[in-house]
Amino acid sequence: MLPILSLIVLIPILFSAVTFLTKTKEQARISALVGTLITLVLTLYMYFSFDSTTAAMQFEEMANWIPSLGISYHLGVDGVSMPLILLNAIVIPLLIIYTWDDVRSASNRFYGLMLAMQGAVIGVFVSLDFFVFYIFWELTLVPLFFMVNIWGGSNKKHAGIKFFIYTHVASLVMLLGIFGLYFNAWALTGSPNMGIDHLISQFQFFESGILRDAIFLALLFGFIVKLPVVPFHSWLPDAYSEAPTAGSVLFILLKIGGYGLFRVMLPMLPFTATPSLMITIMGALGAVSILYGAFLALAQKDLKRMIAYSSISHMGYVTLGCAGLVSLSVSGAMFQQFSHGLIMSIMFMSCGVIQTATGTRIINNLGGLAQKMPKLTVIMVLGFMASLGLPGLTGFIAEFLVLTFSFINVPIYVIIALLAIVITAAYHLWALQRAMFGTFNEKLGEIVDISSYQTLSMGIIALLILYFGLYPSPVLDMMITNSEKIVSLMAVMGV
Amino acid sequence: MAMENLAFLIPLLPALAFVLTFFLGKKLPSGGAIIPIVAIAISCVISLAITVGLLQNPEHFVTQSVHWFAILNLGILIDPLAAVMLSMVSFVSLLIHIYAVGYMSHDPAKPRYFAETALFTAAMLGLILSDNILQLFICWELVGLSSYLLIGFWFHKPGAASAAKKAFLTTRVGDVMFLAGIVLLFSDIFTVFNGNLPEGVYVLQFNEMFKLIPDLVAINSTILGMEVSHLTLVTLLFFGGAVGKSGQFPLHVWLPDAMEGPTTVSALIHAATMVTAGVYLVARTFPMFIAAPDSLMVVAYLGAFTALFAATMGIVMNDLKRVLAYSTVSQLGYMVLGLGLGAVIGAEAVGVSMFHLINHAFFKALLFLCAGSVIHAVGTHDMRLLGGVGKVMPITFATMTAAALALAGFGIPGTSLGFSGFLSKDPIIEGAYLFAESTGNWLPYLFAISAAFLTSLYIFRLIFMTFTGKPRTDYGGHESPSSMTVPLAILAILAVVFGALTRTSFYHFIEDNFVHLDIEALAELGGYHLAHHGHEPLLVLWMPLIVAVAGLVIAYLIYNRRVVDMSSIVSRNNPVYKLLYNRYYQHQIFVEFFSIKIIYEGLALAGFYSDKMLDWLVNGTSTLLIEAGDSLRKFQTGVIQHYAAAVVAGVGLLVILIKLVMEVF
Repeated sequence: MLPILSLIVLIPILFSAVTFLTKTKEQARISALVGTLITLVLTLYMYFSFDSTTAAMQFEEMANWIPSLGISYHLGVDGVSMPLILLNAIVIPLLIIYTWDDVRSASNRFYGLMLAMQGAVIGVFVSLDFFVFYIFWELTLVPLFFMVNIWGGSNKKHAGIKFFIYTHVASLVMLLGIFGLYFNAWALTGSPNMGIDHLISQFQFFESGILRDAIFLALLFGFIVKLPVVPFHSWLPDAYSEAPTAGSVLFILLKIGGYGLFRVMLPMLPFTATPSLMITIMGALGAVSILYGAFLALAQKDLKRMIAYSSISHMGYVTLGCAGLVSLSVSGAMFQQFSHGLIMSIMFMSCGVIQTATGTRIINNLGGLAQKMPKLTVIMVLGFMASLGLPGLTGFIAEFLVLTFSFINVPIYVIIALLAIVITAAYHLWALQRAMFGTFNEKLGEIVDISSYQTLSMGIIALLILYFGLYPSPVLDMMITNSEKIVSLMAVMGV
Repeated sequence: MAMENLAFLIPLLPALAFVLTFFLGKKLPSGGAIIPIVAIAISCVISLAITVGLLQNPEHFVTQSVHWFAILNLGILIDPLAAVMLSMVSFVSLLIHIYAVGYMSHDPAKPRYFAETALFTAAMLGLILSDNILQLFICWELVGLSSYLLIGFWFHKPGAASAAKKAFLTTRVGDVMFLAGIVLLFSDIFTVFNGNLPEGVYVLQFNEMFKLIPDLVAINSTILGMEVSHLTLVTLLFFGGAVGKSGQFPLHVWLPDAMEGPTTVSALIHAATMVTAGVYLVARTFPMFIAAPDSLMVVAYLGAFTALFAATMGIVMNDLKRVLAYSTVSQLGYMVLGLGLGAVIGAEAVGVSMFHLINHAFFKALLFLCAGSVIHAVGTHDMRLLGGVGKVMPITFATMTAAALALAGFGIPGTSLGFSGFLSKDPIIEGAYLFAESTGNWLPYLFAISAAFLTSLYIFRLIFMTFTGKPRTDYGGHESPSSMTVPLAILAILAVVFGALTRTSFYHFIEDNFVHLDIEALAELGGYHLAHHGHEPLLVLWMPLIVAVAGLVIAYLIYNRRVVDMSSIVSRNNPVYKLLYNRYYQHQIFVEFFSIKIIYEGLALAGFYSDKMLDWLVNGTSTLLIEAGDSLRKFQTGVIQHYAAAVVAGVGLLVILIKLVMEVF
């Protein structure tokens, strides 16, 4: 059988190198598109042969790498990672089509970084060895840093370095957590092993409760800064809004923080010394993020910053759903990751189109764009409606599952989240009304609607939002299978 | 019955029409109106056929269900309640689509109009035939979306864009309560089953929910020192949704502004169909309401208050459509009151309320379409600029007068003679009297009867100001084309005779809806004592007619004979007029104070500055570290011995640290 997981990691990285070497913009974008399409085909093949009735790892690959340290090249995919790989494999080729005619940024370096990013992110999702996991984890920082630094807005230097240092410090704390797991497990079993599942299974045997909690919190910190949750989100608004549109979308596809919660944190949670405290921390962080993000989005004058805060608010559902600890609340959190990736892509793409067409993102300087950009308006309204949680679109499925099923265990936090729903609707509609409707602002001059490349790319994402909103089973079923397994551990421990 | 197998087509055909019209409408004559018209006509035929089938065989409900995802399903439940709603909605929608061919003929964006009204019709029909609360909620939200899109249909007008947003946000407040109700309900069901939901049962289906009512009543929580049944909480949260959608106080504020949309939209969505979704929700979950202590009392009081409150504002509006908008709010108040009467009359309340809902749909759609006909001809909404329109538009005048008589409730008490509005409003007022007698709560009755007087006053004020007297400006005008007047005539006939023809059979039909449930036992759970109709005093029996006639006479004297000089009353110095004309300062309270001052300027900006602080803290920390790094650089002396010493010191420190750590753990 094909080592398909290695291929979907290596092909983007290989094509990244090829793309860097191309001479012209035309060659670069074709090379990039070919690379991502091959990855897409392989991913779709994997997806359609995926068995969503089992929670076990599939397509596993295993080879010793550094036996003396217990490090192995171990890859695998299950219901937690499959949908996220699918998300990346689908959106990145569309992102290349979206930027097809982009005069400002499209170049060999630009597409090269984009492909490197795809390889690194998929690498995180398929790694079953903490060492490999951490390498890919850190690798994702690099393309994004350059994206912001080279093609960013006026404040790009500050935003880039802030993002880099902030999340890097968090990663180092996470690394300490990994070392804590690794060395303690080594001491217990007498042999080194970096396997994620192995380390998690040994975690419960660590004697000291303080140690267990410290390890748990260190890992948690690493993940939630990436997610991010309030109050560890300060890097995000600057980075998201300074990045070029494609960079913002890549940030959105970087779902590794939430992924860590499902892959690492939840299986460890019942074995911490104070599980109820950890649940409280996660639930409270989730609820606060939802409400705080919504209010901050309401206060923004810049459309892109508004979307950035909206993203923080939506990611709160991931943490909240984890704290819910019912299989369907956890599945809802997983589905939120998938849904958020699609919806935010459309939001940032719409914002990018507006910025290119009008030269501004300040909501009050826009106005009446719907008259000049009818095609964009249709797609953008759909994206905004999905983002505010309209049923029939993916956002609702995720939010409904998280709210309903988290209420069983953490009702207070759900009530806080419910308060945010009206605020969420308010900032979306306010932005639409000011930017798109009303009288056209003549100062904006001549405006052209989106290009056919952009229509194609955004249209496909819009259809996916609609499709998975009406019929979530194709990705939700595998999530449920895996979250049932995760939650069954809690039941055993009586959490 | 083969027809029931086609039930799924009822919402699906208009949904398909939405897609087709949206993409192909530009290439077809009159914006592709033919597609939704044909689709809705078929839906209407299927609905009527199913209704006829149910009339012959009332216990044979149409039920279909398919698995959706996880533990949820999509399904169809057509019982008598759903059947009458389906027939009414598809029929009214069909007429309004036909009317719109004429009304919208000059608008370049016709394809979008017809696509969006088709989407609305699909969502509304889907809402009605849902067999579970979640699907109902989903369609409920889609209905809200279509309403948003259609209010903002002329989105280049700032007023329309703003009204659309206001409508969506205000109803969203209710929707969140509705959603919270579902969340709480689900978690209670979870508790009832001890976390093990039965296999193969969809617990959110209405009939499954109703089975669990006794268990749900038993779950209590203490809120603000009061022991409250969770069923009361759930039903009141559902009712919160209804308050938003059906324009009850205090979430009614969006409805008058919604008149910024095309008049056909006002008729279809904001008069006949969508706004009744809240009433329908309460009727649909009525078994839960009647088993929930205190819920129906809240419903009755709020409905009666809304009926009166809105009617007071109706008498001072000068915009044709706004008068009708407040009238709609007021009439929805009657329907809600009708449901609240379930506290004394049991399941009959659903029949009473639904009967008014259906009759109201006919005469209110008619009123709006007549107003649309006038607006189409003269080009203004302002009644002060009109007068004498009856001479140029005789058909519109006649049909609107019929609708006004139906709304005001003219008929002979104790018989089946009367306009349909009389035959359906009268039982609500009578029920309110019975409610007062048996529970001692007189306010709902007083509100209802005062509102009846005001209703007659404001609607005849509208008729006299618009159609009689001499033209006050040179507005031109002509009678509307037949694609507009034919729907008017059909609706006028229904407004006159529908009530009289169907009264008895309607109540029986709706009563069959709950034959599977022991309503009296449920009422006992809720602590309601059902009473039986006694003989009301003669005055009470005739009171609704007396106030209606009084309203007509006063309107005639003031607005036609002009016996009173209105300028002394209609003045900025009259505090009552000022209060009414400014609509009780609701805009200032809800929008300027609450939304802008508290939510936006207060909380959002507080958040904005706290986020700035946090950001400053993060940046400050890094600056501090960089400066610390700078000073540390001075230790890099370049002298090897210094480094060696540092290394030794470091290792020593590390060893001590490790020792310490080992001892702690």
